Order: sequence, then structure tokens, then C-alpha cells
Amino acid sequence: MPPIRVDWPEIQRVAAAFRLAMPRSPVGGRLGERLGSGTGSSLEFQDYRQYTLGDDLRHVDWSAYARSEVLAVRLYREEVAPRIDLVLDLSRSMTVTEDKGRAYGELCALLACACASTEADSRIVTGSADEAQRLERPEQIERFLSCDATLSALEEQRIPLRRRSLRVVVSDFLFPHDADVLVGRLAREGASLALVQLTLPEEADPSVEGGRRMQDVEGHGEFDLVIDEKAVRDYRERFGRLRLGLARAARRAGASFSHVLAGTPLRQTAKALTTAGVLESL
Amino acid sequence: MIFTAPLGLLALLAIPAIIAIHLFRRRFPPRSVAGLFLWQVVQQTPQGGGKVTKLPITASLILECLAALALALILAGARVTPASVNEHLVILLDDSASMAAINAQNQSPRDRAAQRILDEVERFGRGVRITLIQSGERPAVLAGPAALAIETRPALERWKPQAQHHSLALGLRLARELAGKTGRILVFSDESPEGEMEGVQWIAAGEPLGNVGIIGAQRTLSTDAGKGTISLTLGNSSTQEAKRQLRLVVDGVDGKDLLAQEISVPPRVSSMNLSIPAGLPAVTVALSSDALQRDNDVTLVEPRPQIVSIDNRLPKGRGHDALDRALRSIAGVTRSEQAQLVFGPASLLDPPPEPGVWRVGFGRAPQRFLATGNPQDLIGPFIPEKRHPLLLGTTLAGVVWAGALPVNLSAVHPVLSSGNQPLIGLLGSRPDDGILFNLDLDQTNLSRTPDWPILISNAVELRRQNLPGPERWNYRAGEWVRVRLGHDPKGPLRFRCGTITRDLPAARLIEFTAPAPCLLEILEGEEVAFQLGVNFLDEKETNLSDRVRGEFGKPNPKAGGLLTESGPEADPLFWSLLAIAGIAMLANWCWALRSEPVSQRSQA
Repeated sequence: MPPIRVDWPEIQRVAAAFRLAMPRSPVGGRLGERLGSGTGSSLEFQDYRQYTLGDDLRHVDWSAYARSEVLAVRLYREEVAPRIDLVLDLSRSMTVTEDKGRAYGELCALLACACASTEADSRIVTGSADEAQRLERPEQIERFLSCDATLSALEEQRIPLRRRSLRVVVSDFLFPHDADVLVGRLAREGASLALVQLTLPEEADPSVEGGRRMQDVEGHGEFDLVIDEKAVRDYRERFGRLRLGLARAARRAGASFSHVLAGTPLRQTAKALTTAGVLESL
Repeated sequence: MIFTAPLGLLALLAIPAIIAIHLFRRRFPPRSVAGLFLWQVVQQTPQGGGKVTKLPITASLILECLAALALALILAGARVTPASVNEHLVILLDDSASMAAINAQNQSPRDRAAQRILDEVERFGRGVRITLIQSGERPAVLAGPAALAIETRPALERWKPQAQHHSLALGLRLARELAGKTGRILVFSDESPEGEMEGVQWIAAGEPLGNVGIIGAQRTLSTDAGKGTISLTLGNSSTQEAKRQLRLVVDGVDGKDLLAQEISVPPRVSSMNLSIPAGLPAVTVALSSDALQRDNDVTLVEPRPQIVSIDNRLPKGRGHDALDRALRSIAGVTRSEQAQLVFGPASLLDPPPEPGVWRVGFGRAPQRFLATGNPQDLIGPFIPEKRHPLLLGTTLAGVVWAGALPVNLSAVHPVLSSGNQPLIGLLGSRPDDGILFNLDLDQTNLSRTPDWPILISNAVELRRQNLPGPERWNYRAGEWVRVRLGHDPKGPLRFRCGTITRDLPAARLIEFTAPAPCLLEILEGEEVAFQLGVNFLDEKETNLSDRVRGEFGKPNPKAGGLLTESGPEADPLFWSLLAIAGIAMLANWCWALRSEPVSQRSQA
């Protein structure tokens, strides 16, 4: 499979309107420029709170006191520099067809741009063997996209994720797994988790094709199969169970799960991710 | 390359079969999938068969063909080393007991022969092929034909000469057959060959030895005196008188000798009698040890007399008296009305015979046996059935056979006849159906001739021989044993002779060959029906004075040696092919395992 090429102008045009959504839970990271969900010391007003002893008198809203004779303190949003771990599946299954490879490249590039817009400490996690790599610029993600591994990073025993980091996982999740265990491992000690499943339309909804020599793209065997209606029905049922398992496990872990079909226009994909709470509009 | 089994090349047919399998194997267009496990099916019924497509040259095809080729070549006995020509020694071993006679150094001709054979094998090297034949009435192959040299020693250890004297001719004939044109024939004996033998190397390993042995033994019973006698015939092959310890041991009485005495045995043949009480079980007579052990003891069983009960029912007169006179001269008979043998007028032959009663009738036969005609007096010529036991020893010279009536030839089996007139005949196929003397005893002069008591005695002995029991009680090894049971066997019949046990056919008359010296027991079910003594008693083997040592004759100079193939393990090609086949099969298995889906592997 040739290396994935990304059409950066197009990506950047779409990605300019989005950034990674911050969770309400505490986000790890040093003090920074990104407004967090909690209260802090930025200039952006967030709320009022009744004055209590020890509050900084400079934050008392005297105008309000004059109107209501109640001492109230102005609260401002916090400013953080969050940590983002972008977990990429570099197994061969992500480039099983050219379409899927292209869609994967676009999705990763979109998320890389969103990470950059978030002004976070973003790192790329590709497996236990390699240390997580810092993502300085979105374009750097292109050099990670060589999908030639026989195992996904998610199948490995140890995934080098940071504590209280925002985690975004992109994979097709087409490997035998226990969804609860997998999602539990990914969500452990993290601030948030977003699962993005990318599949081809024919992987999600195959059609009758007749006899085929089914070959695992990762070299995990092959066999002859007549893809008839029954085989398709059985496949859909299994694929549905797999997606449902991931969605349920994500819900239980407080994570978000979204399914992206290769070939979907990028803007539409970004909107879908925004709806799922993975991205937010600027 | 040489093929020792070219038919094995037929296994090469496996290669086109493999190619055909690969050619017609169902092949679907490949489809790469990301989640093969989601397509997993437990079972899917194949739709349609395969179709001919271009043969895919896969690793599996190559490995399978390679394995098939290697295995086919192994089956065909492919060799790179040619067959070798080896010496083939065909050795005839004299199995007579004298080969086991030991000298003062405790060495026997058998030991010397065995050593010589081992030396010969060593001289010709490991490649030599050996055929060992044991002589005897029925020669047997001890090792081979054309056995490996390594088998010689174990076969020689099994060789324990103990047969009676016999000719080596049969063994030599077998040796010549097995040697063919390629073998060297060696004969090991303790005697010199009888005349010159072409193409045979005769090695005599004997030596003259002094030996005393029992060459004849008999146990008799005198019922009148109430005692028994053991008559021994002893042979002494030395030129001097020999002293030996003689012991009589009663069978079943441990450690108790009936008699123990020192005897002097003169040179050559001598005899002695020993009195023993009547009614003793089997008795073993043993001489003290000397060169040959086999002839030093005999086991003798007391004979049980077979008394024939006889009834003379002839009417008073000349014939009755003549019969009485003849019977008085016969031993072992008793008079009884419940007789086993009845003499009377021919009319008593009319009713069917009673079981166990033989009838001898004189005079006018019952009407159903007679033909029309008048009685005749005949003076000969008489035509006897010579081998019939009833006429043994008779001459009928000067006999006037009076009152012979015409007899129906289809009803009577003639034993003696004159012209077409039966004079003595059996009323059936066997004597127990009745014996007819077509004779007027009052007119004939037969009762006054010497043939009369002989005829009567023959009739009595014929009856005696058919009484239940063995013909004799003591036998020489190899003799024919004949035992009449007198009833249908109540269980399986077999005989036991030392360690030898053999089944016998279920019949009233048992016949077999006495196998070896022993106290032979005939078993009917689990019960011992009869005990018989079987002894060595071989004068030729006892006489060790004429044994010789030396070599006679020369082996066949034209013997070209035997073309032999060594085993496949000696050929490097065999191991190479085996390794190729093994590696190919293993690699193919690994390849197949790799192609197997992960899910199927985990299920396995």
C-alpha cells in the first residue's frame, strides 16, 4: 500500500472551523491559554457566586452590591494547556482499500488540525513499542500514516497514555476484542475518551458477492466463502453486535463513540464528530 | 541409480494425482478483508464443484510433489550403491545324539562343530550368508535360508543334538537345494561320509570314546509268579570291561531307589535281568554318567496283560474237542460264557453281533449267505489273502477242505478261497461282524493238521489286538504308537511327553509317533488314560568307538557366491530421500497451518 497523501489545503479549510472539545471533568496540563471548563483566572466571565470570607475583594461586583445589597463575587473561566493523546491504528486493515486509506488520512489530518487549534500538548500514540511522539504541526501526522503493522496498537498489552489526558482513538475496531475491557483500558485515568470508528461502507453493510477467497489483510488466515444472503445476514448481525458493544462500553466509561464511513465528505464528518462531542465549533 | 523394487515406482502416480487435485481445486477470487473473524462460518455447504483453471504453482503443490517423489523412490528401493556378492555357507548339522557325547575335557563334537562354524563365519567376514540345517528324519532349517552372519551364534545355541541314528541323505538333499549354484555346502558330523560326495566339504568332529548305554529294554510281568522282570541289553563301546552304578527308581517315589548296585559291563553287547515286584508303576533304570547321557536311562511301564475270554459253543464231537485242544495251547485266554470271542456253529452268525463279542462260525452258513449248489470237498489250490492276520503262518498243505457250500459272494468278504468258492470269509468289512469257516469240521482233516492251532491262535490274537489298550507299553523313540480306546473319547485327547504336549484326533484308535524319551501320558480330558514308556535305545548312537575326526571332500569350486542387497539403511540415498520427504511434509504442514484462519486455530 503506498503511503497516505493528504490534501492539506482542503483539510485546513474544513478544519479551520473546528477544535477539539474540552470535557467538563478536570483536564491535566499546565496553566495555559486554552479556556477550560472549570473556573480560573482568565478574563472571560463565567458566573457569579455569593461572597465568602477569604474571597479576593477585587473580584466583588460592587455594582451588583449597589443594586441588590448582596455581596457577589465574579467567577472567570480557567485557562489550561490540555494534554491530548491521539491514538492511531496503524494496522494494515486501515488501508485495506485505497478509499479507506484516503479516508483514514483525511480523518487523522482533521483531528491533528483540531488538536493544533486546541493549543494543547498533543502526542501521537501508535503502539507500545514506540514512545508517544509530540505533534508540533498538523502536517507532521502524515509521517505516521504508514499502515503496515499486523496488529493494531489497541490489541497490544500496554498503550502509553498519559494521566488525565484527552484521548482520541481512531481505528476500525475490526479485530476480535472485548469492548468493555478495551474501552476500560483506554479510559483509565484519562480526562476524556473519544472513539472514532472508520470503516468502509461495504465493511459496515456488505452485499451478496458469491464465492470469494477471504484473506485477512493482516495475514491472520484465509478461507473460501460463498458470500450469499445468509452469510451477509450473519456478518451484519456480528458487525452490529461489535458496534453496539463499543457504543455501550463507551457510554459506561463516559466516552463518546462515533462511526465514520469512508467516502463521507470531510465537512460532514467534522459535523458528525461535533455532534458526537469530539469536536466543537470555533 | 538402482531400483530394488521397481514396482514401487507406481507410487509416482501420486504426482499426477496431486497435480490434478490442485488443478481441479475450487478457487474463488481473493478478497482482502479487515475483520476476517466477522465472516467466520461454522459450516458452509459447497456450491458446485471445481473448475479447470491454470495450474497455480504454489508452495503446497511443490512440497507435496516433492514428498510424493521422495516416498516413491524409497518405495522403489532406489539405491546408489550396487548389490554385493557374498559367500553363502549352507551347513548341515548332524543332529544325532552322539554329537553331544563329551570327552574327558568335557568337549563334544557339537562344541567343536559350533566353534568351527563361527571360525568360518569370521573368516568370510560380516557379509557372509548362512543357512543352518539340522538333520533328522525331517530335516529342519535352524537359520536362514541365507541368514545374516549375526544370526549364526543364536541359532547354534539352539542346536542340541539328541536325535536317534539317521541318515544324513535327506538333510544333504535339502542343503543342495538351498545352496543352488551359489552356496558352499559344509556337513558337520562325527562320522565319516559314506563314499565320496561331490561338492560337499564333510567335517567330522567326532572322536572314539568308551561309552556304556542301554540299547534294549523290556519289562515283563509273570502273573503266575506275581513278579515282574526288567531285561536290559547293554552296549559297551570300549574294549575293556566297564563298571557302572545301576539304579532302579520307581516313578512318583522321590529319593527312594528300588535297587542300587554296581555292575560290570563287558565289552560290546551284554544283557541282564532284574526282578521287581509286580504292580509297580513306571520304573526308571539309570546308569551312572559317561560320555553319552542320552542312553544312560530308560523308563519302563509294566505291561497290563490282555486276556481274551473265549467260549466254545461247538456241538460235542470232533470239532469241539479239536478246538479245546487248540485253545489249551494259547496263553492269555480264559473261558467264559460272557466271552469276547465265541466259537460255534455258523448258525450263530445269523443274528446281529453284540457289542464287544466276536463270533467265529463253522459249518453251514445262514441261508442269506448261501448261494445255490451242493457242498464240495476241496484239496486246493487254496488262494489266501496273504497279508490278512488270520492266515499268518499257515500253509494249508495236505488239507482236505470238506463240506464247502456255495456262498453268496456279495455277502462275504473272502479271506481264503478256492476258485470262486470262499472258504474263510468275513461277513462284513471287519472281523467283529463275524468270521465264517465254510467247513465241515466232522469231515475235514484241517483239525489234525499244524495249520489248525495256528488258525485258532491267529483268531484269538486278532481279537486280542482289538481289545482296548495300547498294542505295547514300552516303545523306542520314533516308533509308531497305536492305542485303542474301546469307547468314544469322553474329552479332548492329547499326549504329554515331558514338556511336549500335542492334541490327538478324537477317535477310538489313536496313532502317533513316540516323540522323545519320556514317560508318555495319554490324556482323555484331564484324566490320564494310559502311561507308556518311550526310550532312546539306539545301539548305533551308543557305540562311540567308530567316531572320527577329519575333513573329507572339497566345497563346490563353482559356487559363485550369493548376490545380496544390504538393507536400505546402508544406502545414503535412502536417508536423503527420507529427509527430503520429511522436510517437505513438515514445511507443507506449516504452510497449511499459516493459511488456516486465526479463529480455526484458536478453536483447535
